Amino acid sequence: MPIERASPGLWTLAWRRLRRDRVGMTALLVVGCYLAVVMMALMGWIATDWTREVGVNYAPPVFWEQDQDETAQRSAVGHDTPDRPIALYGLQDPLAPVLAAIRAQYPQDRDLVEAPRRLSLPLGGDKWGHDVWIKVIKGSETSILVGLVSALLATLLGTLMGAVAGYFGHWVDDGFNWLYGVFTAIPYLLLVFAIAAVLQQKGVITLILILGLTGWTGVFRLVRAEYLKHKTREYVLAAGAMGASDARRMFIHILPNISHVILVQLSQNVVGFIKSEVILSFLGFGVPVDVVSWGSMLNEAQNELILGKWWQLAAAGLAMAILVTAFSMLTDALRDALDPKLKY
Amino acid sequence: MINHMGRLLFILLGLWVMGAWAVPPEKVLRLELSAAETGFDPVMTSDLNTASIEQQLFESLLTYDYLARPVKLIPRLAAAMPIVTDQGKIWVFTLKHGVYFAPDPIFKGQKREVTAQDVVYTLMRFMDPKNRSPYKFLVEGKIIGLDELGEAARRTGHFNYDASIPGLEVLDRYTLKIRLKTTDYNFAHAMAQPMYGIVAREAIEGYAGDTASHPVGSGPYHLTRWTRSSLMVLERNPNFRHEIWNFDPGNDPDSQNIAAQMRGKSIPQIDRIEVQVIEEAQSAWLSFGKGELDMIGLAGQFAPMALHGTHLKSSLADRGIRLDRISDPSIAYYFINQQDPVLGGMSKEKIALRRAIFMVQNDEEMIRVIHKGQAVRNAYPIPEGVAGADPNYRSLLDYNPREANRLLDRMGYAKGPDGYRRQPDGQPLAVRYTSSLSSQDRELDEMMKKALDRLAIRFESEKLKFPEILKAERQCRVQIRLSAWIADYPDGDNFMQLWYGPHTHENNGSCYQDPEWDRLYEKTLTMPASPQRDAIYHQLARLLELKGVTKVSTTHIRNVLTHPWVIGYKAHPILPSVWSLLDIDVSRAPRQ
Repeated sequence: MPIERASPGLWTLAWRRLRRDRVGMTALLVVGCYLAVVMMALMGWIATDWTREVGVNYAPPVFWEQDQDETAQRSAVGHDTPDRPIALYGLQDPLAPVLAAIRAQYPQDRDLVEAPRRLSLPLGGDKWGHDVWIKVIKGSETSILVGLVSALLATLLGTLMGAVAGYFGHWVDDGFNWLYGVFTAIPYLLLVFAIAAVLQQKGVITLILILGLTGWTGVFRLVRAEYLKHKTREYVLAAGAMGASDARRMFIHILPNISHVILVQLSQNVVGFIKSEVILSFLGFGVPVDVVSWGSMLNEAQNELILGKWWQLAAAGLAMAILVTAFSMLTDALRDALDPKLKY
Repeated sequence: MINHMGRLLFILLGLWVMGAWAVPPEKVLRLELSAAETGFDPVMTSDLNTASIEQQLFESLLTYDYLARPVKLIPRLAAAMPIVTDQGKIWVFTLKHGVYFAPDPIFKGQKREVTAQDVVYTLMRFMDPKNRSPYKFLVEGKIIGLDELGEAARRTGHFNYDASIPGLEVLDRYTLKIRLKTTDYNFAHAMAQPMYGIVAREAIEGYAGDTASHPVGSGPYHLTRWTRSSLMVLERNPNFRHEIWNFDPGNDPDSQNIAAQMRGKSIPQIDRIEVQVIEEAQSAWLSFGKGELDMIGLAGQFAPMALHGTHLKSSLADRGIRLDRISDPSIAYYFINQQDPVLGGMSKEKIALRRAIFMVQNDEEMIRVIHKGQAVRNAYPIPEGVAGADPNYRSLLDYNPREANRLLDRMGYAKGPDGYRRQPDGQPLAVRYTSSLSSQDRELDEMMKKALDRLAIRFESEKLKFPEILKAERQCRVQIRLSAWIADYPDGDNFMQLWYGPHTHENNGSCYQDPEWDRLYEKTLTMPASPQRDAIYHQLARLLELKGVTKVSTTHIRNVLTHPWVIGYKAHPILPSVWSLLDIDVSRAPRQ
């Protein structure tokens, strides 16, 4: 008896094709590792104390110099000691009773003992003695998060606007095309810098908004074209004949059939926005001083490089280069895997 | 024979004509400013960068001898030092004859001579409320009748520049008598400030509303091109009088060397000065290395590249580059806005909060990490080299994070569930630190963030361009900032006035208004530099610490690098710029 087998769906076929692509799978593994690191950093399992000063200033990488602990440094502070009081020149200290009580209770406060610091670190230290390895991990959280979330936002906007423009056509299409024209008439990075300069409000959310609100044009163009093509196809007309509403036809019937285009575009945007975050932070428009990202590390490194301290630049640059390369390869593999013309 | 002679004469004549036509190479000095200028109306200026340009465009009555150390006042527009009588209350200045303003369309092609009436007009402008001059403190309350004119203008909205006041009497076209209310030991220094450069009334009135863009002075240069916050081109003032470089070098070998190269030359020697605003120290450093800038003030972060201890590295010295290094008569000081709703006020809780913030500032670390050793710890508001300085002064606010935290614990600044401290009434607590956009200021942001982390206080950053920071300061909108002040004149009063209550909205960025402090300060105004005045200064300095108004942090070391073709440079502690006193050796300058 013939056995009737369910024909595999688009995603099953795509996964089969992707699994056969060694480069694609390697890229997926690398990207997966990065995402795992980001998740762990987000959950607070790793790199929570990136601001801890564990090394001496500009501690070199461990292979550069023998590692050893520096002796704890002790320095006397608070010159106002009972045996050597600070003159008040006849004035009254309004905090005298409080300070007297504190000093009586904690006389050891005057001896400031600095914690011992390492003379070298695995990937070196920055000017404050922060561990560059920890900074790279924490920086990946910011850079990848900004890249992912802003790409999602841009893709969502581009998809929505492209769907509406392509599906309804006429003056609705004209209106969206005008907006698209305005955004694409200005060079992308110039537009981003202009908005960043005007906002003067640094922060991860600001960055996500800037990148997301300016980066939707590519998705819009592709999705609009797909909707123009699909809206006259038989399956859409049939759905209409069965009484499906416009929204249902747009998002339940057409959208799944063009989702591979959107997915590929999304992954391209992630790469682009990670790079944009790095450029913005490098130029001082990006994350604020209390947040570390690969871009802010590169910004710090520009002066360090002249002083011969190359390790922060190398670490952040390498981490970004590996991710961007892997993500680009994955995008390429996804495009191949999701191509409906390739059956097997 | 006659034929041969004729040919020879013809050739000689030809050579003479060619020699006469040969244009000597133009001498151009290329410089940088580390922050944007704020406009060129001297009465409205308060920053060093702008003053350095104005020093070349305008002329004050007096100036400082280029080579004399300690610094010494000498005449500039004045023909001689003023005649001072009546215990320093009457000052008679006689102007040089034949001093002309730079050519400007406002003069309709006529040469316009500087007169005593111009000096009167210039001095009056400082009290015109419309100008909101940050440097009016140098004449305010001093010249008989001038304050009253200012007061009348505040009431009527119109300053009467034609009024005759007993304090400013024009004796003749070139002679002016100034009558002071009381003895002022710093009045001569006031008359040497670039902000007190003499202006022409018709120029100020003709360019009303845009005087900052139309500087018309009698200095050795005039402004021929200005791209805001980017480029200023100064060219030799064709109306500048004949003046000869003639300074006494004393016993200093460097000064003697300069004098040997410069003495007898006319001023100025350089035809054109191009000043670029380069906020990023790295760009300036690289431009200097390529010879695109003739001299730079070395930013601390590049000191390890240029210096070996206090000497120039051999890699630079071998190229003929010279180092001029002095300890600036300057202070870097943190101040907190006393009128800020969160940090201001005189309750014990607020004082404790401010003092705690100051006590977590690690000056040694800042000197080591940010300034790369090109600054020294200085806790007193008056730096060394200035009358009234006290290098042995001990601060109450030295780095002590443990005690600072205990102080906040006791005063009710408890930590919330997020780990950050809250105000005693439970309201959130955050400190907003204002700084400029340069990479060095980003490092200072990091320092402040680290400091506030030590107290578990939230850090917020406000990034503004330098001119906007000055504006915000004057409007009492800055919450906390690391500011700097360099001596306009070598007297402690120039520093102590930074906290005088009536100077709020001028130079008193902390907007500190304390009758006790003001009363003590006013006592010092009529005192000469003396142990008695120093005793009061110590009280003033201590009050600033006790009330958590300010913490003086460091004194900057100035390292100026010059290429070998720049002749005659010596860093002056007071003069904001000395460009008109330099020369360029065009044979050594590669691109000229």
